[in-house]
Amino acid sequence: MSEKTNAPEISVKNVSMVFSDSKGNPVQALKNVSIDIQKGEFISLLGPSGCGKSTLLRIVSDLLTPTSGEVTVCGKTPRETRLEQKFGIVFQNPVLLDWRTVRKNIRLPLEMMKVPKEEQASRIEQVLELVGLKEFGNSYPGQLSGGMQQRVGIARALAIQPDILLMDEPFSALDEFTREKLNDDVLSIWRKTNKTVLFVTHNIAESVYMSDRICVLSPHPGRLSAIVDVDLPRPRNADMRGTPEFAALVEKVRNSFEGI
Amino acid sequence: MKGKVIKNIITTVGLPVLFGALIFTLWQTKVLHTLFKTDEIILPLPTRIGSIIGDNFTNMLPQIASTMIVALGGLILGSIFGYLIGVAGAVFKKWGMGGLTIVSAFNAIPLVALAPVINNWTRDLSSVVDIRSTVAKIITVTIFCTASMSVNAYRGLTEVKPFLEDLFASYGVGKFKMFFKLRLPNSLPYVFTALRVSVPACIIGAVVSEYFAEQVIGVGRQIRENIIKGQFPTAWAYITVACVMGILMYVILLIVEAIVLKNRRAR
Repeated sequence: MSEKTNAPEISVKNVSMVFSDSKGNPVQALKNVSIDIQKGEFISLLGPSGCGKSTLLRIVSDLLTPTSGEVTVCGKTPRETRLEQKFGIVFQNPVLLDWRTVRKNIRLPLEMMKVPKEEQASRIEQVLELVGLKEFGNSYPGQLSGGMQQRVGIARALAIQPDILLMDEPFSALDEFTREKLNDDVLSIWRKTNKTVLFVTHNIAESVYMSDRICVLSPHPGRLSAIVDVDLPRPRNADMRGTPEFAALVEKVRNSFEGI
Repeated sequence: MKGKVIKNIITTVGLPVLFGALIFTLWQTKVLHTLFKTDEIILPLPTRIGSIIGDNFTNMLPQIASTMIVALGGLILGSIFGYLIGVAGAVFKKWGMGGLTIVSAFNAIPLVALAPVINNWTRDLSSVVDIRSTVAKIITVTIFCTASMSVNAYRGLTEVKPFLEDLFASYGVGKFKMFFKLRLPNSLPYVFTALRVSVPACIIGAVVSEYFAEQVIGVGRQIRENIIKGQFPTAWAYITVACVMGILMYVILLIVEAIVLKNRRAR
């Protein structure tokens, strides 16, 4: 699916991140991580907790500044890209505003970006359709299930028509059935919109099912221990989860972790 | 679902009403008097208090109005003032917690100490007694209502759900927009938490401030005057009126809260 063109959409070079823990001791969250991501690629950052995968995503989106190393997004700094509003981020929790309806939650970033009113409305209907929540536009978040709330979060991220979709363990709080359904939904949305997706997960099967490539991160210190190409054909469907090829990839990914 | 609602109504409304009825019965049948070794002069029967209120209600109205103006004036000013302090605390984070601690400490000053001080302080404000006395009472209630609002407003403005600040940052918006679109609406339930404290408090504050006021008017002042004159049934009538005022305001608050926060409590 991914076309290997010349300049990468996201380029991470020798990025390291050192935090201080509660006692003031330095903790190396990431050590010398380098990845190039092409436009339209679906990339997973996979690893156990403490491997720095969320940290890396936050560095790419300029929510964190790395201690050392260089990140460029679309040839610019992450900050420039963030201020140009090219990132759509989906977090672990849906992070919806309880006091706004689904429609108004999706409208929030559009208001901030001063998108004209008519265009706001048409974009909202479009993304609601995309995530299958057309009938729930006027519901409040509190009236929706966890899976539906996360769909609203995805719709909101898509509404800003970002170049890059960053998903930080978006389905980790959901049950297995909902998760698999949403995996298919995200893949179908990705196929239709052709965004670059950076998908953080700790679920090996999920990363194999979704990705073009998997960046395997190992903890203490967080480092890139392997990049696994996933050559399963697309479009993918639930039947593939039971094939020997799928099992072999899961095994390959599992074996590429270090020091756990 | 429906059974649960009915069960809820029974426990939240039925039981308190039943308990109240029991107390009134014990009171009316003078069991309370025997129990607490008192008589009908100090503790008149409920029917007697009721008939006094019924007979004198038109005379009571100006007293009620005066107390209401003081209570509401202080509540509104104190809430606005408290909210602004909360905003200042949230904007200047370095001083926020310290400043709020000082405001909370102010709240620990007893009302009976505060009221006479304020009364003396405003003595030169106006040559008209009614004006300077009303101002003194409203200031007292204002101070009494400020602390709970400031602390709750600060919490409501700063305690936002995890990742929400990141979400707004990812849109590349400034602090100003984040304040109006996120912090302000987020603080609304906290405002009601504060009002649940300060609505009953504003009636108490108004009643007590009247005790020390220059102006001889108000429900609280009538309680005092009638006790001094030994007219206990009339004093009790005013005590009852003060209670009803507080309860009514609280009920109105709960109704407004239920309407305003309807969609947030859907969970």
